Amino acid sequence: MDVNYVGEHLLPGKIGQFFVILSFGASLLSLISYFFATKNPDEKSWKLLGRVGFFINALSVFVIGSTLFYIIYNHYFEYHYAFAHSDDQLPTHYIISSFWEGQEGSFWLWMFWQVIIGFVLVFRAKTWETPVMTFVMLCQTFLASMLIGVEVLGTRIGSSPFILLRDALEAPIFSDPNYLSMIRARGLNPLLQNYWMVIHPPTLFLGFASMIVPFAYAAAGLWTKRYKEWLTPGLPYALFAVMILGAGIIMGSFWAYEALNFGGFWAWDPVENVSIIPWFTLIAAVHVILAYKHSGHGYFTSTLLSLISFVLVIYASYLTRSGILGETSVHSFTSLGMSGQLIYFNLTFLAITIGLLIWRRKDLPSTKKEEDIYSREFWLFIGALVLTVACIQMIATTSIPVYNAIFGTDVAPPIDPISHYNKWQGAFAVVILLLTAAAQFLKYKRTDPKKFWAATLASLIVSILLSIVAIYFMKVYTNVMYILITFTAIFCITANIRILGDAFKGKWRLTGSAVSHIGFGLLVLGALVAAATNEVISLNESGYIGVKNFGKEGDKFTDPGENLFLTEGEPVQMGDYRITYIGDSVAAPNVYYHIKYEKIDEESGKVLENFVLSPFAQNNPEMGGLIGTPATKHYLLHDVYTLITAASADSQAPLSQIQEEKTGFEDYEEPATYQVNIGDTLRYRNGIFVIEGVNKDTKLENIPLSPTDVIVGLRIKVIAGDQKEYFAEPTFLLKDGHAYDFNKNVDEQGLKFRFSNILPEKDKLEIMVYQKPLPEKKWIVFKAIKFPYINFFWIGTVVMTIGFCMAIYRRVKDGKKEANIES
Amino acid sequence: MKKSSIILMVIIAVAIAMILVIYTDSSTYSTFTQAKEKNTELYVVGVLNKEKELEYNPVEDANLFTFYMYDNDSTECQVVFNGAKPQDIERSEQIVLTGKMEGDKFHASKILMKCPSKYNQDQVEVIEATTASL
Repeated sequence: MDVNYVGEHLLPGKIGQFFVILSFGASLLSLISYFFATKNPDEKSWKLLGRVGFFINALSVFVIGSTLFYIIYNHYFEYHYAFAHSDDQLPTHYIISSFWEGQEGSFWLWMFWQVIIGFVLVFRAKTWETPVMTFVMLCQTFLASMLIGVEVLGTRIGSSPFILLRDALEAPIFSDPNYLSMIRARGLNPLLQNYWMVIHPPTLFLGFASMIVPFAYAAAGLWTKRYKEWLTPGLPYALFAVMILGAGIIMGSFWAYEALNFGGFWAWDPVENVSIIPWFTLIAAVHVILAYKHSGHGYFTSTLLSLISFVLVIYASYLTRSGILGETSVHSFTSLGMSGQLIYFNLTFLAITIGLLIWRRKDLPSTKKEEDIYSREFWLFIGALVLTVACIQMIATTSIPVYNAIFGTDVAPPIDPISHYNKWQGAFAVVILLLTAAAQFLKYKRTDPKKFWAATLASLIVSILLSIVAIYFMKVYTNVMYILITFTAIFCITANIRILGDAFKGKWRLTGSAVSHIGFGLLVLGALVAAATNEVISLNESGYIGVKNFGKEGDKFTDPGENLFLTEGEPVQMGDYRITYIGDSVAAPNVYYHIKYEKIDEESGKVLENFVLSPFAQNNPEMGGLIGTPATKHYLLHDVYTLITAASADSQAPLSQIQEEKTGFEDYEEPATYQVNIGDTLRYRNGIFVIEGVNKDTKLENIPLSPTDVIVGLRIKVIAGDQKEYFAEPTFLLKDGHAYDFNKNVDEQGLKFRFSNILPEKDKLEIMVYQKPLPEKKWIVFKAIKFPYINFFWIGTVVMTIGFCMAIYRRVKDGKKEANIES
Repeated sequence: MKKSSIILMVIIAVAIAMILVIYTDSSTYSTFTQAKEKNTELYVVGVLNKEKELEYNPVEDANLFTFYMYDNDSTECQVVFNGAKPQDIERSEQIVLTGKMEGDKFHASKILMKCPSKYNQDQVEVIEATTASL
């Protein structure tokens, strides 16, 4: 079809596509060159070529990113990516989020971070540059291939962000040269229109991308037979990856809590699980690396864990990007037809892991000596094993759709995934927390048992006392597992505070570890208490009387519902609060529903505190109606979380349609006709009105009157229920023998008066009163949840991140010291 | 016995326990007929009967929503959900219910919908067909 399309901008797409291909070619060149540079370290030209390839790749990645941004920013909807992920009403800061709403954009983001990491490695890795960059560029080549979008031998490789809309979709409209002026872009998913969505994906992807470095170092160590050496330079990168990925995951959880409507911060959704699995394995790796560095035990485990963590990152991206989770996850991407490519990506890195370990199995450093029970390395090792087993549990359940795909079975995941995972991960958490506490009192190699128990028992007793108080106040005594987790979390915090105290006395080396473990303890404690004791406070008990409940308690089908119905302006008591729906406001495309919370002192009736929460919703018919975004009131010790689940139809309409009056009567109910005298008082729905008198001097504009014409106005005073007064003067006109009348409205009261006739024989005046139907009061249905102690969760994350920073600082410094000693 | 072999045995024991629990916790996708027989909580997959009315009257009860659904065997059943009406249910292509049968009604505790999301639907939305003839 040869059509001259109007208004298209084809140049940016051509530039972009060129650099997409160039980035692939350059990373392939760099990969091959670095490979041979490692094989032939004496030939300097290979290394140079590898760097050139890397720099060209870096340049291409920057150009791809800027071009894509240019396209989205300028609303060039002739490009499918801009069409599918943005629209022209999108605020500028969310253009960034639309950038990674699609798979192509998020692959680009991964490549971008890998380029930044690549720069650090090229300039810092020194002798490690060539082998490490070989693996980084292998990964970069795979990522670049995901963006190619070219058909080779009948199969499409990758999916380009620069594909034109008319090439991506088939529709009759594309035969029209003017199609661009007729289409409307799909826009960004309202759930992603949240500031956390601007920062969470880049952080998460930086975490994922930086996990290539420990992989590459471990693999390079095996490949070049520098077995023990890789641990020192690799450790800070591993710590960095753990820190960033951890922060990224929790940011995602914060986004889910603040912007999503499932009412919580962690749902064991497959997408969440697959991001936490590599985090766990790399944390295990970091601990075993430390054990090995100090004791010589566990080389194989630390290498295997470092390698497998990155394989799991790729497995995570396979699960979330191939569409295989479709039935079990709400958040995953849909398939772009790249699952084959993702499987190759995965298998390649898995093959490297297994292949290298088998190839070098005989040379791996190992020790015959058995670890002492009273040694730190032994328990670090056990901790790493427990973390690994925890991961296996998560992978096993999360991968159910994969088994179904491989074996053609039809197994459904657990009915209640949250309790399924909690049951296991809760138990693992207890063990891990105990180890993080106790292992801190152990020394590497051998500890005097007496000293160990003396130090541990003191902390143990303090923690038991603290736990009793905490369990009582946090109300988690309902379940043995809750009690155990609370106790172990407090034990972990107390023990590490003690270590931190020692650190201030001079043993500064353990500061980072102590701080991050305190953070971890707080995080688990906050998560447990908030998840275990959160309560729905919007219980709709009124609608459920005894009969309906059949006296059965704890039956979730007959329990009072969790949604509360509120009519505008009518306060309802909900738990400690008196709540009122005070109206809504529109800030397109969102409708904000304002709910006033008042805490009232029972005795004096005084309002102790009040605040307004404005959860909002976007009425997006194409996205499926009302999409609610919660509003949360944060206190120091708890949060009050409020979400709209339904609203009356008129307040849902995002842009209220202004109704034009055509005849002026169709909005009113059937009129009532009265025959009245002056001084009569009549009722209407919302008050009374008084016929005050006639006005014979009334005049009408634009209508000339002859002396024979009669014109009379009728003065009516309306007194509304709230004692407000309004006046109206409908007019009656006899002109040339014809009767006319001119009505008058009292819009505030929805009234319309007609002075329709004068009945001299009865000495009466006839009026017709029109009333508008009572406007249906606006209502909303909402859900409110109280999350106690959730701040521990967020504070714990921050503390943990700070601890990681300190640990990285120390390990980098140690690494430099070691390098100086060696040289 | 060596410590490492004890640890290994413990891990194998935990792993076996884990597989058993995953096996017992995992469920199957059933039909309404099977749900009547089993009387336990399970998944039912099906499609919404769009011809019958979806009843949700928040003014009376904000936590009661009923509708009719066909399962994969085309058996129709009334579904009762104690909660607010999910907003996009009319547009759903497929519904996955979690819940159990009570009498002739299926009491759902969770409704998961698959919608033709505009993000995976390869359709071009045209604002107004009339402007095409300009």
